[in-house]
Amino acid sequence: MDNIESLLHGFTIAVTLPHLALMLIGVLLGILVGVLPGLGAPNGVSLLLPLTFGMQPVSAIILLSSMYWGALFGGSVTSILFNIPGEPSSVATTFDGYPMARDGRATTALATAFGSAAFGALVGVVLITFLASWVAQVALAFGPPEYFAVYFLAFASFVGMGGAPPIKTVVSLAAGFAIAAIGIDTVSGSVRLTMGIDELVKGVSFVVAVMGLFGIGELLLAAEEEFHAKAVSSAIDWREVFRTLLGLPRYGWALLRSAAIGCWMGITPGGPTAASFMSYGIAKRFSARKASFGRGEAEGIIAPETADHAAGTSALLPMLSLGIPGSATAAVMMGGLMIWGLNPGPMLFIEQKDFVWGLIASMYVGNIVAVVLVLLTVPIFAALMRIPFFITAPLIFIICTVGAYSVSNSYLDVLLMLGFGIVGYLFKKLSYPLAPLVLAIVIGDKAEDAFRQAMLMSKGSLAIFFSNALVATLVLAGIALLLLPLILQVMHVRMTRPVLD
Amino acid sequence: MISRRALELATATLTGVFGAAVIASSIDNGIGWSTAGVDAGTFPFLTGVIVLVGSLWNLARGWLQNSQHVAVSASDLRRVIALFVPAVVFVAAIPLIGVYVASGCYMLGTLALLHRLSLQRSLLIATATPLALYLVFERMFQVSLPHGALGDVIGF
Repeated sequence: MDNIESLLHGFTIAVTLPHLALMLIGVLLGILVGVLPGLGAPNGVSLLLPLTFGMQPVSAIILLSSMYWGALFGGSVTSILFNIPGEPSSVATTFDGYPMARDGRATTALATAFGSAAFGALVGVVLITFLASWVAQVALAFGPPEYFAVYFLAFASFVGMGGAPPIKTVVSLAAGFAIAAIGIDTVSGSVRLTMGIDELVKGVSFVVAVMGLFGIGELLLAAEEEFHAKAVSSAIDWREVFRTLLGLPRYGWALLRSAAIGCWMGITPGGPTAASFMSYGIAKRFSARKASFGRGEAEGIIAPETADHAAGTSALLPMLSLGIPGSATAAVMMGGLMIWGLNPGPMLFIEQKDFVWGLIASMYVGNIVAVVLVLLTVPIFAALMRIPFFITAPLIFIICTVGAYSVSNSYLDVLLMLGFGIVGYLFKKLSYPLAPLVLAIVIGDKAEDAFRQAMLMSKGSLAIFFSNALVATLVLAGIALLLLPLILQVMHVRMTRPVLD
Repeated sequence: MISRRALELATATLTGVFGAAVIASSIDNGIGWSTAGVDAGTFPFLTGVIVLVGSLWNLARGWLQNSQHVAVSASDLRRVIALFVPAVVFVAAIPLIGVYVASGCYMLGTLALLHRLSLQRSLLIATATPLALYLVFERMFQVSLPHGALGDVIGF
């Protein structure tokens, strides 16, 4: 039971006054970005990133991850009270959350959401506690070909299971790799893809990309929709909260199933958004009360919320033990790790024990802090939503601009952010997925290095990717996932053809 | 009014041009296999090819798609422009007058002129914004934001 021991040691790091204060700040800021449309977890975390450069890595990651938990919870608040998803991953929560709140059961809806979210997160953290170090141990034996195969598998699973149009996913991914390659090539030292702009030699920071893609892009979309915040009552009845939480175990099966879906999508990396939609769809298909879905059915809140948080939490597992982030926000955090001078991947579990276990322990505590804080602050943040969008929008824009600038004190970064903003708007509008783009920008260099080192080992022969059982299995699984959309389409045509005849 | 088809075509063209630029630029770095291993341009070249081919596919699909579905209606577009154009002006003004003055003017302009908020409130928000930026960045986190050419002149 090495893990338990390490975890207990982790608690001694996480549960100190300064770290609890950081969790508090992180969660509150997280709820804020989760509630505000146009600010989400990925760009909230990247905004905070430049401010953590002077901190201890473990303190910094506690702050950033707490912000992530806060944002996940904050997104559900607006979904339920305003029918406006604060985060893409809480869209599915609006389906039943808002109708229930409109029926005068806002407290029940919120408590159901938070209770199941906390359960999902707990399952995710327990999974990390027991699995992460084991995965890291296995990964210690990985060489460059195995690493490239794992990257390949991760990216293929976006194409096969991400839910977006496959070719659009491929374009998004490959564009991300190209952006990652901009600047000085670490192997040969030659300058690549700067297109004559000297300042691009330093490369394109993923923080700037995230700020534009998620921040500005989302802002433009929100402006277009021009929502009117028509809130239902946000007063919290505490007795109802406890009654609802005590009643949750009745939905045990739905909770477990949704948590399993969430963990799977978080690790593989399908991401929280895909997880919540998939979980909602499955819950609806198998529920005995199918007809009441969409009209305030509790299971319709439990399914997406549990999966969303399970996926959000378990997305940190591959980030820590393999160096592959499972979601866009995890990608930003991993970028942070590299900036702080840590090397995400199996060696982290050996060289940075305090960091890893401090983080894992903080995930237990941070989620409890988040549940309590979000319940306490619902009325405050609900009031914030009543500030007209035309006031918050330019403020958010200014914050993103300053955030992009402060990454490396460069005006070019601000211009790049604007460009990424337009791309983000177009991509979201046309359902090109953004998460693979960000992931590719963050780990593009590592994937390329793994590929080139593998090629060096084999003197240029691709056969190295089939040279042993492990690497061959990974590559074949990746290829299968890439072909999955095609196979499904062929099957669909086969099945519908007789009807057409 | 912009149709979905037009937007699909425009986006696919945009990604396609990017892909082509990546290909052209990485050929200069050398592609293929040499004594030093995989040449620097190889990996970007491959990603460029994937982007270009995928874009052509998306372009063809967008072209064949015969829907008159509206992606952005005229009023949507007006709202997006009303947000984006002042924002671009704000960014363009930064090298001249610095972030602080620019953000104040930007807030005042959008609130009072564009959205007809009362002058009193607009002024309040327009002064509070740069002040908050200054306190958080310059003071708390010691991050210097651009003061612009104006800052050089008045010695800030």
